[in-house]
Amino acid sequence: MTTAATSFTITTPAATAISYNRGILFNQSSRSHLRSHHYLRTSTHRKLEHLFVGRRREGKTRAGSVGGESAGVVEMMEGRTTEELKKGIAELYDESSGVWEDIWGEHMHHGYYPQDGVVSLDDHRDAQIRMIEEALRFAGVSDDPNKRPRSIVDVGCGIGGSSRYLAKKYGASCQGITLSPVQAQRAQALADAQGLADRVRFQVADALAQPFPDGKFDLVWSMESGEHMPDKKKFVSELDRVAAPGATIIIVTWCHRDLSPSEETLRPEEKRLLDKICDSYYLPDWCSTTDYVKLLQSLSLQDIKSADWSQYVAPFWPAVIQSVFTWKGLTSLLRSGWKTIRGALVMPLMIEGYKKDLIKFAVITCRKPAS
Amino acid sequence: MKLLTHNMLSSNIKGVTAGYPLLIEPQITTTTEVPINPNFLRHIFPKLDYSALVAAAKTLGFSDLPETAGVSDLEDEGFLKRFHHALLELKLEEGALVCPESGRRFMVSKGIPNMLLHEDEV
Repeated sequence: MTTAATSFTITTPAATAISYNRGILFNQSSRSHLRSHHYLRTSTHRKLEHLFVGRRREGKTRAGSVGGESAGVVEMMEGRTTEELKKGIAELYDESSGVWEDIWGEHMHHGYYPQDGVVSLDDHRDAQIRMIEEALRFAGVSDDPNKRPRSIVDVGCGIGGSSRYLAKKYGASCQGITLSPVQAQRAQALADAQGLADRVRFQVADALAQPFPDGKFDLVWSMESGEHMPDKKKFVSELDRVAAPGATIIIVTWCHRDLSPSEETLRPEEKRLLDKICDSYYLPDWCSTTDYVKLLQSLSLQDIKSADWSQYVAPFWPAVIQSVFTWKGLTSLLRSGWKTIRGALVMPLMIEGYKKDLIKFAVITCRKPAS
Repeated sequence: MKLLTHNMLSSNIKGVTAGYPLLIEPQITTTTEVPINPNFLRHIFPKLDYSALVAAAKTLGFSDLPETAGVSDLEDEGFLKRFHHALLELKLEEGALVCPESGRRFMVSKGIPNMLLHEDEV
């Protein structure tokens, strides 16, 4: 964080609302556990963070499960139900996709960066393309005209960057699904403008109940959407269900570190950090890369591979933060809405999570048996 | 929503076993001109449910597709044109998709279908 953060003053209606609502949002009893977090170097930022994040209480439960039933019923005062999460995700992306696209373009995912070298904003766009290519390479998706995918599903498609890229690359048709009507509209408009209206289509749908018959897609793609799924088991089983025999499934997602054999859960301070991130990004509980691998194994999927790409995405969050603190970034952000602003404030926590080896950027792939 | 999309969509409401293909209740249908790409059409044909496409096209007012077709028909230019028209040039802007078993309607607004299920349908 730079001194720019301390020197700008917020004078929009949003700022007036901050001071008005201060009494309601500021929760006295939860302040104590925040004192130990010194990652935010500016006092202005810390005050804002208290307002938006300080409400979390110890010992709450939240929608999210890996292997069991989906969470569903959670007390309204603590955590969020699955319905609240879905609504929150849709609203967050309805509100913020425009801001993101304005600064970063059509891909709403991490870039894959070379190990050395300085990166400029243009490099980030290239890096986002490289992320797609590296994921395809890792999964061994064939370029051979006879073996390349013909029909693709993009699960959690954002504004459709991956869908359009993959459809063009393979000359295939692609269906994208998102919870956000604004994203679906925008994704379709971009596809139409790029001459892909005929074969790249988007709909509003739930990844946990995909609106497709079984076995339709040769390539099942989930690029940074898995972290939003409240029921990982259902999420993965839907990916499996819509995959055609012989299809490739690729999941690129944020996980927490694998637990050691003696551990049952993450350490309390690790959970607290993730809780804050979950709050602002409408995320359910995180799982580990190994949890995903086990789910794929339980569905008898083959050639299961996973990798930790955290080291290749390191420049991403600092770049995102930097882009917020440009004039364009700030004005867009302040015009956008609460959810987007809160999301921006929580970005340093992502960096902290990566630095502490708690957050992992994972790629997981497998193949559906041919028959 | 184009019929290529319609061909890929199904109603997966809990308890429904025959949720495909969805029936169409058109309100506003448009036709756009899309450059024909024979390679793409041949590429995608094996992945489609052809009879569902024929039925859907009829609902949108296009009845010129033969009832059945095979891979060999894709070499015939006349068929390719009609197939292309039905699949990619007809567009449902406003209307509904209806689950053939439960009757549940999924709205199509500004060309985008909303396939979200309610809590009790999952």
